[in-house]
Amino acid sequence: MNIGIFLQTIIGGIGIGSLYALVALGYSMVYRSMGLVNFAQGSIYMVGTYFGIIWYAGMVMGLHVPYPIALLVGILLNACLGVLLERIFRPLAKLDLMFMLLGTIGLGFVLDNLFVIIFGAEGFAVRSPLPNAPIVVLGIRILPQMLLLIGGSALLMVGLQVFLKRTRSGKAMRASAMDHDIASAMGIPVNRMNALTLAIGSGLAAAAGILAAPIVYVNPAMGSAVGLKGFAAAILGGLGSIPGAIAGGLVFGVLEAVSAGYISSSYTRGIAFLVMVIVLMVKPSGIVGEVTVEKV
Amino acid sequence: MSNQELFGLTRKGSRMVKAVLLALVACVLLAFPFLAQNRYQVHIINTAGIYILISLGLNIAMGYAGQFNLAMGALWGVGAYTAAILNTRFGIPFWLNLPAAMVAAGVMGAIVGLPSFKVRSHYLAIVTIGLGEVINIILVNEQKLTGGADGIARIQMPSFFGIPINTDERYYYLILVIVVLGFLVARQLLRHRIGRSFRAIRDDYQAAKAMGVNTAYYQILAFVISAAYAGAAGALFAHLNTYISPDIFEFSSTLFIMTMTMVGGMGSLAGSVVGGLALPILQEYLRVIRNWQLVVYGVAIMAVVLFFPGGVMGVMRRLRSSRALRWLSPGKSAQEKLQAEETNVPGN
Repeated sequence: MNIGIFLQTIIGGIGIGSLYALVALGYSMVYRSMGLVNFAQGSIYMVGTYFGIIWYAGMVMGLHVPYPIALLVGILLNACLGVLLERIFRPLAKLDLMFMLLGTIGLGFVLDNLFVIIFGAEGFAVRSPLPNAPIVVLGIRILPQMLLLIGGSALLMVGLQVFLKRTRSGKAMRASAMDHDIASAMGIPVNRMNALTLAIGSGLAAAAGILAAPIVYVNPAMGSAVGLKGFAAAILGGLGSIPGAIAGGLVFGVLEAVSAGYISSSYTRGIAFLVMVIVLMVKPSGIVGEVTVEKV
Repeated sequence: MSNQELFGLTRKGSRMVKAVLLALVACVLLAFPFLAQNRYQVHIINTAGIYILISLGLNIAMGYAGQFNLAMGALWGVGAYTAAILNTRFGIPFWLNLPAAMVAAGVMGAIVGLPSFKVRSHYLAIVTIGLGEVINIILVNEQKLTGGADGIARIQMPSFFGIPINTDERYYYLILVIVVLGFLVARQLLRHRIGRSFRAIRDDYQAAKAMGVNTAYYQILAFVISAAYAGAAGALFAHLNTYISPDIFEFSSTLFIMTMTMVGGMGSLAGSVVGGLALPILQEYLRVIRNWQLVVYGVAIMAVVLFFPGGVMGVMRRLRSSRALRWLSPGKSAQEKLQAEETNVPGN
């Protein structure tokens, strides 16, 4: 086995894994704060990608906004979408899982197809803002955009942890996720905290989409596969756990890359899902195994 | 005493009304191919019949036993592929393929259901979604057996004692018989021990276990029964369309089936019939508005979930018990009056 190629595969897996991790964070944070499993997360990721990429790729009045600004605009726009969605999710969160599932899937349907109407069903490739030639380090070839994806995601994850642990709003958010009633008795606006959670989850998904856009293909259907894998990653790490979502995403990405490179490229998706099923059988609380809020 | 007389009379009356209604429905069902304006309408209803069958299966697993089986689309595919492979490779006719497809799908259903011992709710949902995906990926990749992404073509249509069932009109009667049978079998199953155990597991898993319900057995049974319905629907689908490909049985088909079941009413067999008929027809009408159809569809799903969580059958139930429409079913109202009086006695 060539060690260089193996490392290359692992790094590719970590890249795609950080994409899954950012999407999984949206699932876990929203589940933790609202008790809602948001199956529209994949569509929110797709919408966020468009929100950023349209400015960069000159799809709005021929504007070619620099990549970092497009990234910021995309994150902000998607965060606003998240705030709006809180209004829809508030009644949904009180329903049974079956209804949540269907209600959020319905929302995803609406978003997906609105974007088909606006931008057409066919996708497009996005030019990377960085040089396309791979960087060669010790015989390992890595795309600069892949490094940007990994680095950017890592920064966002660290930033999220700092926000949750150190800032007043972050602490309020965690408090309201822990116990709605006591938090609101303490004067924390629970609904606003939920909106903030959704805004952060959507913003992270947008960031993931825009950072990965030059590597993957952008089209209105891109959300369904990533949404499903992001959810699998969140479950793999333990739904509701933030370190779990990150670990789950990375493990899922690496698993996919390794099975594509060494077992069978056509069975990639299947192997990753199969491993997820086996992990859940052995350890239903996920790999991180944090005790999460369980609605009885 | 007068109450009881009234009760007996109206009960007889409501039974009459029921019989007349049933006869009317039966006439419409039997005459439908002659009433339809064109062959295409019959084809849509045939497809709807196949969806009703799968929806009944999903309803048994999810609505009655509370087991998330989100691999229904893939299990439908297992049934369809079993029938298609047996027919195109070995020339086995529909009548043998139908039970074979039910058995094959049932076995796969049992495998999909195994994780239900360990995990529940959203965990079970993602596990069954994952296993469904694995089944679909196998259908795409085992090209020697399944023909890969190209699918299988030239599946023969069945024949009945020498009469070829080769038109949509004739096939309609085949589907009608199987759907009616499927409905009656489901009703019978759910009325007896199996149904009671299913509901006990759904409503309180721990309590059911404590009361001596063999939960593991009934959980797997729920998966097997739902998969067998999907398998039968698969055999019907393969022999009707004579061509199948794996993209038909992707996760989106599971969503479609789940949507129709929820719109009709989860936990009500009649709901499966209503939803299974309504959604494919609705889809046809929405074709006019092209791209907007799926948007309307999504909004409709959300509206059902938010405002009518019981689906159509839930709304009907609410209407029937509401005061304004009590005259529609006099038997029921008299019964309720009686019950109300009985419960009032200790209060006085």
